[in-house]
Amino acid sequence: MVAHLLSLRWRVMLNGFRRSTWQLIAAIIGLLYGLGILALLVGGLFALSFAPETWAWTVGVLGGSVAVLGWVVVPLLLRGVDQTLAISKLRAFPLPADRLLVALLACGVLGVPGLVTLIAGVATGLSWWQHPLSLLTAVVCGVVGVLTCIAASRALESLTSSLGAHRRYREVMGVLVFVPLILAGPLIALAGTGLSSLRDDLPQIAGVLSFTPLGAVWSVPGDLALGRPGEAGAKALIALATLAVLLLLWRVGLRAALVASPGAAASGRSKGLGPFRWFPATPTGAVAARTAVYWLRDPRYGGSLVIVPLLPVLAVFLAATTGSDWLLYALGPGIAALLAVTLCADVSYDGTAFAAHLSTGVSGRADRAGRVITLSLFAVPVVVVATLVPLAVLGELAKAPALLGIGLGVMLTGFGVSSVASTRFLMPVPAAGESPFKSPQGASLTSALGMYAAWALSFAFALPEIALGLVALAQGSLLLGVVALVVGVLLGGALVVVGVVRGGRSLDQRGPELLARLRRASGS
Amino acid sequence: MSDLGSPVPPDDTATVRPPAVPEKAPAPGAAPATASATTAAPALRIAGLRKAFGPKVAVDGLDLTVPLGSFYGLVGPNGAGKTTTLSMATGLLRPDAGTIEVLGTDVWSDPVRAKSLVGVLSDGVALFDRLTGEQLVTYHGLLNGMDRATTALRVGDLLDLLDLREAGGTLVVDYSAGMTKKVALACALVHAPRLLVLDEPFESVDPVSAANIRDILHGYVEGGGTVIVSSHSMDLVQRMCDHVAVVSSGRVLAAGTTDEVRAGSSLEDRFVELVGGRQHAQGPSWLRTS
Repeated sequence: MVAHLLSLRWRVMLNGFRRSTWQLIAAIIGLLYGLGILALLVGGLFALSFAPETWAWTVGVLGGSVAVLGWVVVPLLLRGVDQTLAISKLRAFPLPADRLLVALLACGVLGVPGLVTLIAGVATGLSWWQHPLSLLTAVVCGVVGVLTCIAASRALESLTSSLGAHRRYREVMGVLVFVPLILAGPLIALAGTGLSSLRDDLPQIAGVLSFTPLGAVWSVPGDLALGRPGEAGAKALIALATLAVLLLLWRVGLRAALVASPGAAASGRSKGLGPFRWFPATPTGAVAARTAVYWLRDPRYGGSLVIVPLLPVLAVFLAATTGSDWLLYALGPGIAALLAVTLCADVSYDGTAFAAHLSTGVSGRADRAGRVITLSLFAVPVVVVATLVPLAVLGELAKAPALLGIGLGVMLTGFGVSSVASTRFLMPVPAAGESPFKSPQGASLTSALGMYAAWALSFAFALPEIALGLVALAQGSLLLGVVALVVGVLLGGALVVVGVVRGGRSLDQRGPELLARLRRASGS
Repeated sequence: MSDLGSPVPPDDTATVRPPAVPEKAPAPGAAPATASATTAAPALRIAGLRKAFGPKVAVDGLDLTVPLGSFYGLVGPNGAGKTTTLSMATGLLRPDAGTIEVLGTDVWSDPVRAKSLVGVLSDGVALFDRLTGEQLVTYHGLLNGMDRATTALRVGDLLDLLDLREAGGTLVVDYSAGMTKKVALACALVHAPRLLVLDEPFESVDPVSAANIRDILHGYVEGGGTVIVSSHSMDLVQRMCDHVAVVSSGRVLAAGTTDEVRAGSSLEDRFVELVGGRQHAQGPSWLRTS
């Protein structure tokens, strides 16, 4: 059965690639990228063997602890990302829980993340090739460590599976996961600058972690090499006990999940027509209202916005720590540039539900306009506030017209460009109800290309106001700034209209083809 | 325009009526040999329809005429091209060749007018399921260009009619499969179309709701509307539809009134006879437990 489930899992993944050559190419690029990172990691671990033993030990314990933590936290956040072997699907088969546990463990190790962790874990042995005993223990500990990772992840997942049945919880978690991901870059940068002062503390942190379930298993080889056999033995016991407890917990959770009834999620009720009351009762108004509901309710839309409130935080943070306040000036235009191309994915987000627009014969122009209206309703105020507030705080309101001109100009131009673009190419997006973080294979490459093209076009069309604004800023000219603002709003507004009309015409002509591609994308 | 807006009687005589007066339309071209040839344009006329997906021909020269005011069943094995045909007839999928007319309007040269005459329930497409049931039906009404008052009135009536009033405030994503079908049917009805095209409307609908839906559809046909349903259930089609077409491998094998097509035997037997592929085996020996 182990082999059976394993082959099923890989089969599902490989079949996913066969659906499109581009997906395959993107997957191969992703694979090469991943292999490159892995090679760097392995090389680094080998290099550590030439450093003092304490270094290798510290890196091993810290890195290993992070890996275990990641295995626990990430699946909790990304619940439902890999549902290939979800218990709910296996429940129908007469599988004994114990054998299923072994099978799932094996599948976990031999899946992509499992293999990566396994290689990295076993490669810690390279740090100890000068200490044969440590080298041997490191390989064993690497395997135990990976098993711990998978058991921990699965145990927690099956124990909290009742939570995961609630749609709202999944959605909120799915959006929240973006926060650490977006902050990861700056945090690492900050950690880098703070690392020099922290360096002396790292061994101590590792020392503490090495006695916890997170780091114990990764500490054993180093302890042996450093001549602490007693500690090594204690930690080995901690590690094995951890694995045993986790497996036990997992088994309990698995047994419960195998007989649980398919969870009927409690449904949230909302009353009334909501946005359908606020917008005019026309096809355009209806599309705007529907889009408004989706911006509020569909985590995939919210997910694309979560970066917006985080940018000011980052800007203030960087200004406070490094003293450079250019990010505060760039806040408004930066957010504008981000929001400019959000519409590109709109039709893709609709999925096959787009058939409703097609079967009612709503005009493409109304479709385009409705989407732009809703986005503008919050995007324009956000950009204005994000531009004005920092400038007011800095006492530089004279720069406001130029920056507003650039920001609004780029954003409106972007609305126009993406109104056309989203009728021409589809972005691979997660289907409705899936985690917003889940990117279908191949998404990274093709969608990034389309997005960048739309972005580049937006900047190109907005060049007049960008140039005017920059000159105004450089010369400190208020008059030129006002000219930039006027040009930005007028030119941008005109381009929105052009975009809506041309996008609408394109939608009228290519609607059925678009739906056919949406159907293919959704796999039906 | 329609009396959908009138208060729905509390008993089961509730009906949905399309606009009652059939327009004078040019006489149909070569009307195939259906028993009930009318002088007005048929509700749906398909001629020489073709559609291929890559090397696979899904619809292969299909001809079909659906008379005005008929309750038309479209039956066929899996993969026969039913959904593909209905998608093309409702402007959702562009045919490779052939013509499709709805009440004399060519679907692919005047799609907006044709679509305003047709109500569609598609199989295998998603709904905007983050809307509540009430919002979703309202959305379809407004997309059809109806005003707010009419939309509100009809949405209320349809929710009552389909027993969805209580679930009107619940997100469609949380509906059961049967409720989802019902709300999709409400979306198809809200603009009072002259022709209803329903792809598998009874799939996963409970018997009580199915009976209610049948009543609604019968009332709609009595009011002058035309209904096309595709279904796997021969029994249902035989009882419900006055016309039927058997489709297989993208062609019409037989079409006409239900009595003509089944020719004395039951529709199911006739269907199996026409389509073939029945295996007279008792299954593998290991499956026999006694």
